[in-house]
Amino acid sequence: MFESVEEVQHRFRAARYIASRRISTVVFLAARMGRPVLIEGPAGVGKTELAKTLSDVTSRGLIRLQCYEGLDEGKALYEWKYAKQLLYTQLLRERIGELIADAPSLPEAVSRIAGQDDAFFSYRFLSPRPLLQAIRADDPVVLLVDEIDKAEPEFEAFLLEVLSDFQVSIPELGTVKAKHVPLVVLTSNNARELSDGLKRRCLHLFIDFPNPTDELEIIRLKVPEIPEKLAHAVVAAVQKIRGLELRKPPSVSESIDWARSLVILNARELDPTLVESTLTMLVKYEKDIERVKGALDKVLAETK
Amino acid sequence: MEERILEFIGDLRRAELRISTSEALDALSASAEVGLTDRETFKSTLAATLVKESRDLETFDRIFNLYFLDLEALGEGLKKALGPEDPKVQDQLDQVLDQENMDLDELTELLMRGQGSEMEMAIRGGAQGAGLERLMYFLQVGYFSRRISDQFDWSAIERDIEKIMQALEAKGLDPGQLARIRNYLELRLEAFRRMIRQHVQRELERRAYRAGEQLTREVLSDKPLFALTPDEVAQMKSVVAKLARRIKDALALRQRQEQKGRIDSRKTIRKSLQYGGIPMEVYLKRRHREKPRLITVCDVSDSVRNASRFMLQLVWSLQECFSRVRSYVFVSEIAEVTQGFNNFPVERAIEWALKGAPVDYHCRSDFGYAFSRFANTELDSLDKKTTILMLGDARNNYNDPQAWALRLIRERVKGIIWLNPEGQWGWGIGDSVMPLYAPACDIVRECRTIGQLGEVVDNLVHSWWRRGR
Ligand SMILES: Nc1ncnc2c1ncn2[C@@H]1O[C@H](COP(=O)(O)OP(=O)(O)OP(=O)(O)O)[C@@H](O)[C@H]1O
Ligand SMILES: [Mg+2]
Repeated sequence: MFESVEEVQHRFRAARYIASRRISTVVFLAARMGRPVLIEGPAGVGKTELAKTLSDVTSRGLIRLQCYEGLDEGKALYEWKYAKQLLYTQLLRERIGELIADAPSLPEAVSRIAGQDDAFFSYRFLSPRPLLQAIRADDPVVLLVDEIDKAEPEFEAFLLEVLSDFQVSIPELGTVKAKHVPLVVLTSNNARELSDGLKRRCLHLFIDFPNPTDELEIIRLKVPEIPEKLAHAVVAAVQKIRGLELRKPPSVSESIDWARSLVILNARELDPTLVESTLTMLVKYEKDIERVKGALDKVLAETK
Repeated sequence: MEERILEFIGDLRRAELRISTSEALDALSASAEVGLTDRETFKSTLAATLVKESRDLETFDRIFNLYFLDLEALGEGLKKALGPEDPKVQDQLDQVLDQENMDLDELTELLMRGQGSEMEMAIRGGAQGAGLERLMYFLQVGYFSRRISDQFDWSAIERDIEKIMQALEAKGLDPGQLARIRNYLELRLEAFRRMIRQHVQRELERRAYRAGEQLTREVLSDKPLFALTPDEVAQMKSVVAKLARRIKDALALRQRQEQKGRIDSRKTIRKSLQYGGIPMEVYLKRRHREKPRLITVCDVSDSVRNASRFMLQLVWSLQECFSRVRSYVFVSEIAEVTQGFNNFPVERAIEWALKGAPVDYHCRSDFGYAFSRFANTELDSLDKKTTILMLGDARNNYNDPQAWALRLIRERVKGIIWLNPEGQWGWGIGDSVMPLYAPACDIVRECRTIGQLGEVVDNLVHSWWRRGR
């Protein structure tokens, strides 16, 4: 899939994702070793985007399982279409009647009906959910399990089983084994600790806020119309603001948004009034806004 | 290389990173995939396979830099020692060595042709023979370098060099060429000696680091909290963080073991549809144990400030073990500091609680007044799910102890646990009113060291809430 770490880096870049050496190395290893990657990091640093880009550059379909509290196997793996099964039995009532009409005894009638199980427990009546979709896919895919920390620990245990051998058994249909091992990316915002088992199974990637050089590249890439000087100023300011110990420091997506709106406002450089009036694009909490306002001098010190 | 990675893993484990065997094997096979050419890639590879908690990354970085410091640096050093590359000289050497089937010492072979990493392996072998594991002090570097040196048969090497020179002379090289080659060989010998010394030095750094960590943990854990220097207080933060983590891990394990519980009716009914509504298969739901509510009340007067600091850090790091934590500090006036934790990162929140809350930090402790104020204003917000964790030395400066207030508070909550940073022998002596407060408390514990603090909180998280169930 990739010949080298450098190749990962180049191809991601071509797909408009700036991958640090660390990110590229882990992606390379995941592809080589067929291991899932568990990505942790603050909100908006490109965790989800990485999975999307991976599907892009490998031309693999992206199957996404968004986790939430209460997510269970039914929603993640498959569910029987009960309504449809019921409807069919109703519609076929007479045929079933015929089938057992001349049955000499009750047990005989039962076993005749049982003989028809296959008709009702077949893929026709099954809705595959993301995990089963990923396993049954005819072509290799990228499976994104987004925000796994939101799901409950039991679900995590179940997921670990699936990720260990990429096969599931559906009692009525038998075992389904993946034709191709999917590239799996899990993301977590660290809402709770994940289990040791899952962590052991995965390669671990912690994505932090990008360094100034990378962030500048990202801004240039995502807001190509931005004047060079303004781009530098934006990055310098954002990096300063992250150093202020805010409750929620600005993420990459927020600095992109900010850069965009500055461009719309036709700004060429940053000044205190402009920053104050656009600050809500960048920081969201009232207290944080106050803090940044109080430290504007410092924030803008090196942006000229 | 594998051996070095495994040794490195040993160092990580000693620094309390938990690394399973399967992860160690992953690290080996992953680094085989990427090779060693790029240090950053190599480092990322080890991090991805060995470090599964982002908070351990810092430790990893430090140890990595200490351990793999030399991979490139050594190679570079060797090149520098050898002066500008002289491929011609090496070629001539290789030729003689190949042609004249000379019976050379293994080490000479290595010196003549070896790469940095092979030489290093030889040095490691020598170090074992020299008992390098006994290295402890900076002053021993020279001694051990010599001892490792002594493991090698230098006279054999010298004889070999003479042999080589003779062979070269016999081939008709002119004196100028011969001198250049001799010079080159001596430089290689010198570089090897330097590598020995560097190896010993690095080993010393590693040991110092390891010992430092160990010392911080062991000595500081048993040192009376009031006696900590500011430096030690800073170091202690990481000790407390690790403690919090151990408690959390143990709790998570227990919760996992206790998972089976109530029937999951939704799932069971859904499944039963397949059997005409008869619940043939029963599904169990994880028992949702209600998490305890906690209120910490800390004396923050000078005498016990360190203890309060670590208790706050510990409790606040264990947030997810409680459904709600509220915190108060007092000297005489009492104030809630919970909001600080909601607004700032832990570090700053603690600094604020210890210095910036609306209480007079420099007046004389008055437990009685603080408790009566607390009873007046907070009584209605208390309930039977709440446990109060109190920290203070109960040295009341001969003020009115107002023990009734504490008893009143006790009636409204699940329990009161009192941690006293003063040694038990002092309780009740002088202005200590501990014996007057003790009857209102469910548990009273001495808590002079971080080790004791850890024990109490650990107990608290694990067993206190199970009692009376
Ligand atoms: N390295 C990067 N290269 C290019 N774009 C990036 C990079 N990092 C972040 N972005 C941009 O930031 C935006 C937010 O990224 P994404 O949604 O992947 O964040 P996330 O880490 O998944 O956040 P959350 O935890 O909130 O889900 C993306 O739309 C992407 O455009
Ligand atoms: Mg996301």
